[in-house]
Amino acid sequence: MGNYAQAQPWSSRVKTLASNQLAIAVLAVIALFVFGEIIAPGFLSFSHLMSVLRLSVFLGIVALGQALVVMAGGEGIDLSVGSVLSLAVCISSSLLLGKDANIPFALIGAVAAGFAIGLVNGIGVSYIGIPPLIMTLAMASVVEGLSLIYTRGYPTGQAPELLEALGNGRILQIPNILVLWIVVILAATLLLFRKRWGAILLGVGANSITAELSGINVRRFRMFVYGICGGITGLAGFLLLGYVGTPYLNLGAPYLMTSIAAVAIGGISLAGGAGSYVGAAIGCILLTTLSSILVALKTTEAVRQIVYGGLVFIIVVAYTRRKRDL
Amino acid sequence: MKVPRAFRGIMQDSSFPSFVMLVLLVIVNAVLQPGFFSFQVFRMNFMTFTPLILVSLAQATVILVGAVDLSIGAGISLVTVVMASLMQDSPLSIIAVVLLGVALALFLSFFNGFFIGTIGPPPLIMTFATSTMWFGTALLIRPTPGGHIPEAYYTIYSRTLAGFLPVPVLILLVAVAFCLLLGRTRSFRHLYAVGGNERAARASGINVTWTKIFAFLVSGVFVALAALCLVGQTATGDARSGQGFTLNSVAAAVIGGIAFSGGKGNYVGAIIGGIILGMLINIIYFANITSFYQEFMKGVIIIVALLFGAVPRLRRELAQR
Repeated sequence: MGNYAQAQPWSSRVKTLASNQLAIAVLAVIALFVFGEIIAPGFLSFSHLMSVLRLSVFLGIVALGQALVVMAGGEGIDLSVGSVLSLAVCISSSLLLGKDANIPFALIGAVAAGFAIGLVNGIGVSYIGIPPLIMTLAMASVVEGLSLIYTRGYPTGQAPELLEALGNGRILQIPNILVLWIVVILAATLLLFRKRWGAILLGVGANSITAELSGINVRRFRMFVYGICGGITGLAGFLLLGYVGTPYLNLGAPYLMTSIAAVAIGGISLAGGAGSYVGAAIGCILLTTLSSILVALKTTEAVRQIVYGGLVFIIVVAYTRRKRDL
Repeated sequence: MKVPRAFRGIMQDSSFPSFVMLVLLVIVNAVLQPGFFSFQVFRMNFMTFTPLILVSLAQATVILVGAVDLSIGAGISLVTVVMASLMQDSPLSIIAVVLLGVALALFLSFFNGFFIGTIGPPPLIMTFATSTMWFGTALLIRPTPGGHIPEAYYTIYSRTLAGFLPVPVLILLVAVAFCLLLGRTRSFRHLYAVGGNERAARASGINVTWTKIFAFLVSGVFVALAALCLVGQTATGDARSGQGFTLNSVAAAVIGGIAFSGGKGNYVGAIIGGIILGMLINIIYFANITSFYQEFMKGVIIIVALLFGAVPRLRRELAQR
């Protein structure tokens, strides 16, 4: 059966499936936009398209971290990304205090905090052997507490002009942050498929024993992947502040479920060892478009939760079925 | 040092580390909590321990079969919301709504178990998705906490029967009786076989699909009882009231020596795990930590407890080297 532990032999087949699944995801995005145009004229306009893409970027960067952790295998998953994102937003804003000059300082602060939290996750998972799910779930509550302690309940500071220009501004109608994302997508794809590091990541995810035998320190490698995920999430928090301007607690909470959903939609095998970041990126656009439609339909938070959950449920079930049919 | 053989056997039991921890915690709690051994404090403690123990049992059951259920917390919230929305003051209504709540909890668990058993999506993602759905549904029914729970219902929970048996303890005894009954069934033994090695279990003719559904149904019984307790405790329906139970249930089960790989551990461990977690949370309150630090401390304590649970395995690994 398509069980967790036995899913590894599938990983090679998943690759051929992934391209298929991507096509479906792209079609779904187009269908959603057409549907959006019907219910809310102007949905399909260039400027709205761009604002949906801009919103996808922040989720997209969080999903990159999540994707790496999932690809590294060992039932890898990071349930602390939402809390880390919130904390990173609060740290950046309190370090920035609205001054452009503080940007390098705040950027390093947010990324370093995320990286450190990720490393603790990695140590717990890799060296102590706590299941990733539990370790990161517990860490989520620790980091939520850290945010409270750090802000005393009231986050301070705000984004400076330059960061707002990056998060909110457009040049020639193209959002600046979107350009940044395209660079990230290219870099991540290059890293995964052209560089040694990517080969190691997918190798460790596909079969940790053969990776270990070929001289890779799997434990240390996985620990660093969690660290990198944390660092990337910290970066996302820093950028997100440029979009929202002023911070608030639990800003990152909605990004947890959606980052995992994006990874699943993107055809990244939840057993690890397969997948591409482009898939996850399309997943992010799909989810953001969907949420944009739900907003246009004036649905409540409750309905959005049901739709997100239902969507992931359908994807996971359909995905597992297809794997078995092959 | 020479250790008697009988004692060595006890030390190798999967719930031994948690038992040691339990003893230590009883000592710490006895020091911190005034009148720890008095009946009043015992009763008060079990009002909060009982739901924890119940969710620990619920999670333990699905972990034993090789799955996990992240929707326990949201499921409990949904049950409390539905119950608070429908319950009227008449005894008939109370009984009917309690039965409905139990049925709902069983259905939610069955839903997870059915898909995990027949189609086989990764339980982690599957139950994460359903948890979002349950939470959304609860929020849809009741965007803000509220509803009506008759006094007759919630006063029962804090009552003491016959002068010596607090209701939470009675509920716990019912759960234990249910566990003992379960232990005699064939499906329960199959649970260990499927959790230990699914392929081998299938090859030896065990109905794996049914065993998984069975595990989720059993888990649903414990979830239902936990939800009934929570309604008695809070006397309200709240879409967020169960939230914490997901992490707590996983932590309690793992602290109690239930191996995440499945097929290893027992209910005694799960019960001890629940009590340990309850006492750990107690310490946070009695150590007079400011509210900002409470959430943080809770997470840290759970991670430390998980560390503690990993020690015997780490020692074994080191010994093999």
